[in-house]
Amino acid sequence: MRQCLIIGKANAGKTLFLINFAEYLGARSLRLSVERSDGSVSDASFGLADARKALVDAVPHKTLGLQTLTLSVPRGKTVRRIQLTDSAGLSEDVHETIDVRKAMAQTLRHLRLAGMVLHVVDASQVGQEGAVEAMGEVDLQIARYAPQRGPYAIIANKMDLPLAKSGLQTIVQTFRGQPVLPVSALEKRGFREVRSFVWKHAY
Amino acid sequence: MTTRRTDLPLRRPETPGLANRLDEISEWLEQGKIRPAQAFHLLSEAERPAATTASGATAEEDEERARARRIDEIMKELHGLVGLAKVKRLVQEIRAFTEIQQRRKKEGLAAEPVVLHMVFKGNPGTGKTTVARIIGRVFKEMGVLSKGHLVEVERADLVGEYIGHTAQKTREQLKRAQGGVLFIDEAYSLARGGEKDFGKESIDVLVKTMEDQRDQLLIIIAGYLREMEWFMSQNPGLKSRFPIQLEFPDYTSFELLQIADVMLAQRQYRLSPDARGVLESRLSRPYLPGEDNPGNARQVRNLLEHAIRRQAMRLVTQGRITRDDLMLLMASDLFDGEAGL
Repeated sequence: MRQCLIIGKANAGKTLFLINFAEYLGARSLRLSVERSDGSVSDASFGLADARKALVDAVPHKTLGLQTLTLSVPRGKTVRRIQLTDSAGLSEDVHETIDVRKAMAQTLRHLRLAGMVLHVVDASQVGQEGAVEAMGEVDLQIARYAPQRGPYAIIANKMDLPLAKSGLQTIVQTFRGQPVLPVSALEKRGFREVRSFVWKHAY
Repeated sequence: MTTRRTDLPLRRPETPGLANRLDEISEWLEQGKIRPAQAFHLLSEAERPAATTASGATAEEDEERARARRIDEIMKELHGLVGLAKVKRLVQEIRAFTEIQQRRKKEGLAAEPVVLHMVFKGNPGTGKTTVARIIGRVFKEMGVLSKGHLVEVERADLVGEYIGHTAQKTREQLKRAQGGVLFIDEAYSLARGGEKDFGKESIDVLVKTMEDQRDQLLIIIAGYLREMEWFMSQNPGLKSRFPIQLEFPDYTSFELLQIADVMLAQRQYRLSPDARGVLESRLSRPYLPGEDNPGNARQVRNLLEHAIRRQAMRLVTQGRITRDDLMLLMASDLFDGEAGL
């Protein structure tokens, strides 16, 4: 089973992407295994609506642990399974809160297990900042490192927002050579391309 | 068999030591020593084949060497200053300390935070500002300070006239000094004037800033030896916050003479033999009661500048002036009641 790590800057929309993408793949409820940065693991079950309410917030750094979801989807005669792990968002600067830093370090450590990386970027924010330099350094460095680990795709999220279109262009230009998949996690659009990317590399 | 292992790693095998590297980098990230972007950068470096890192390293080494050369140059300038043996030794110590702490950080060892706020104690004209300026430049080259410039302030720049004004003024100066050195001359005057004085508020703002942004700013407080000691005793918290105390002794008469020589050489003047005699006796004369500041480079400069002006007066009335006349200072130029002789 392939482990797929969802990574990206804080408030890029990783958790909402996880929940809504799971729904798109046919999940009716979520059984999440949550690993906190101190190493403790707990399981939690959510209905989809509850999960969105409980796990998603407009304030950055809502997620401070690894939230893993195992999905199985029948495909032909076999069942394919994949683990999607949502991780704590990364900041541009050294974050002043130790808990956030711990969670970011945990994200980094988890890279060892990840066989696939989905890198979520907030396209509307990139569009807002305009120029190529506006791409955060974290995003650039992730894009440089993660492809070395295995299959890698950039999820250009928040395509429902007005500035996201120009942001997407910037992203495609900046990360030339890497697959960029535009989605709106909120409106559940663009998921088909993500699914085909994930299944192509799942086993 | 009903179960088949499907979680075989398809990704590239980890190079030995890489797992450790990942742990190490995660640790730094957690401790707030590096930004997430730097963490990923380091990971990329760690994964890259040895060949490419080798060429990367040489470029880095070149940069390192150029930097070391620039630091050496500044240190040479410091050593070119007359006297100040103790001060020079301490600056060298600080340099070694910061360098080793930075190396340790690079290797992921526990590093002492570089807190190097200083107290300079000594009479006026003993080289405090000059040394502060050099320290700022050294730290810039070493990467401790981003700009390394010197902002020189005194009580009037920090203390306001009404309630609330002081914090604002002090913060303004701190902002100016951001990335460099804030040099507070006659800092003891901040504690003068008793409980109701605004100087105390200024000290509080300074101390607070020192805690909050330890890496961005170097604060040097300076003043007379006795007054500074009194000042430090008034504020017990200050001693631990200014871990480095430097004493600038008065110059000896021999050192003052050396300083005079340097100053004259810079200005392209020279002394006639009897002028030198006058200067020597002036500088080695036991100082008079009430004169509490004999070994003072600033006074030497004033003395020489006065002599230069007098020489000019003497020459303009003279008929024929040779190149040598233009350079020569005579005893009579130095010998003037008002110059303090």
